[in-house]
Amino acid sequence: MQGSRRKFLGLSLGILTAAAAGAVTYPVIKYLAPGKKADARHKVEIPEGEVPEGSAKFFEFEGRIAVLVRKKGGALIALSAVCTHLGCIVQWQKEKEQFLCPCHAGIFSADGAVLSGPPPKPLEKLVFTVASGRITVG
Amino acid sequence: MSLLKKLHDWLDVRIGTDELIRKELIGFLLPKNVNFWYSMGSILLFIFAMQVVTGILLMVYYVPHADKAFKSVTTIMNEVPFGWLIRISHAVGSHMMVLVLLVHMLSVLFMGSYKSPRELHWLSGFFLFGLVLVISLTGYLLPWSQLSFWATTIATDSVGIIPYFGDSLVEFLRGSKLVGAATLGRFFTLHVAVIPLAIVVFIGAHLFLVHRTGVSTPPFGLEDTKNRWLGERYAYEGHSGGIPFFPHYALQDLTSIAIYLAVFAGVVFFNPYIFFASTAFVPANPFQTPAHIKPEWYFLANYQTLKIFPSEILGLFVQGAAMTFLALLPFIDRGKERHPLKRPLFMVCSVGGILLYITLMIWGHYS
Repeated sequence: MQGSRRKFLGLSLGILTAAAAGAVTYPVIKYLAPGKKADARHKVEIPEGEVPEGSAKFFEFEGRIAVLVRKKGGALIALSAVCTHLGCIVQWQKEKEQFLCPCHAGIFSADGAVLSGPPPKPLEKLVFTVASGRITVG
Repeated sequence: MSLLKKLHDWLDVRIGTDELIRKELIGFLLPKNVNFWYSMGSILLFIFAMQVVTGILLMVYYVPHADKAFKSVTTIMNEVPFGWLIRISHAVGSHMMVLVLLVHMLSVLFMGSYKSPRELHWLSGFFLFGLVLVISLTGYLLPWSQLSFWATTIATDSVGIIPYFGDSLVEFLRGSKLVGAATLGRFFTLHVAVIPLAIVVFIGAHLFLVHRTGVSTPPFGLEDTKNRWLGERYAYEGHSGGIPFFPHYALQDLTSIAIYLAVFAGVVFFNPYIFFASTAFVPANPFQTPAHIKPEWYFLANYQTLKIFPSEILGLFVQGAAMTFLALLPFIDRGKERHPLKRPLFMVCSVGGILLYITLMIWGHYS
């Protein structure tokens, strides 16, 4: 009888301790975890005039760096500027109309396709619309 | 053989954990008449650990820059998940630390545990008291609110009354003529690095001393309450036949910590702003001193004392003398008797001193 009473008390104490540990750990993890709000989905608007032909405009989008490119001929494209190899930010080479990753020399076309180097995948395409002289990404 | 047993045996063979536990935990005996007040030290250790943990968590989001500090604290309170809990815990914890520290000091005073051979315990504890007050003062500035800014201005200004080098000392403390960005930089460094390290060192010394001399015997429930140490040679107060620290008094310590946590949680969840003045919610404005700026409750007595004396230097001197007297008490009070009711002079002075302190605190609050 005494043994089972002791076991019950021990078990209750263990459960209470575990609950207390959880009550402390949960807020600390939530506190430290990066807020989803900061990177939450939101649209970015850029005036068309800021992206002339042959140029690229870099901007922040959903917590990452993105790029708008207007190719020769006028076609517009929105891409993630994060290299798919190891996460460096690609640079726009105006003369060659391509992206170069400065970390390991990965080369992407203006459409984001991998031309050479170690990147395993093309640059992610982003959704955008153009209306009333404004480009809306997202 | 279970994994835990295997781990235990592996450690025991290498560092003798069984012998350590037998000697330092189970073998460390406390007097049979030990009481609840002896667990105040453990509560303080727990509070300090909580302050370190919540302080480190706050440092993840806090920005120690004059232009960004207030906003970063507002972000912690309003946008970071459970940021309000971490910040309030840290703020309430700092007040609780001073309160429990005063209770601990009072219990040591009344039980005569500061008397020889425990003079060093008292001295190291007194240094810890000073460090806790300074860490509270430096931490106060960090939110960069009107209260922070002007309370620090007043506190650092008081040093200026020292003759000859008072003004230089004020400038040295602040890092500039007025409280500003330079002050925030050095106060932040003091608060998160220098003083916590010093506190750890002094806690280590304090615990070593307690362990080395053995725990003092409470003067209650004994026929003879005189200090029997003759002062000829080192003698460890062993308490043969006493209560093992582990698990008996460790359990008392845990119980006391649980009671403290209940009080702490009550304040944090039901009245978290009890220690916050309205000026704590307004960003610092160096061009506008708010009316009725007052220091925290544990500095109110000092604040009122400075106001009482016509000469500021006299007010500072009186307080310095009182603190020095308190620090050197074990060397002044050499009487053998330890029971408070058998020490009438001590009782009159200590009760009078406590009443004076409380009176000055209340007066300071309402003046």
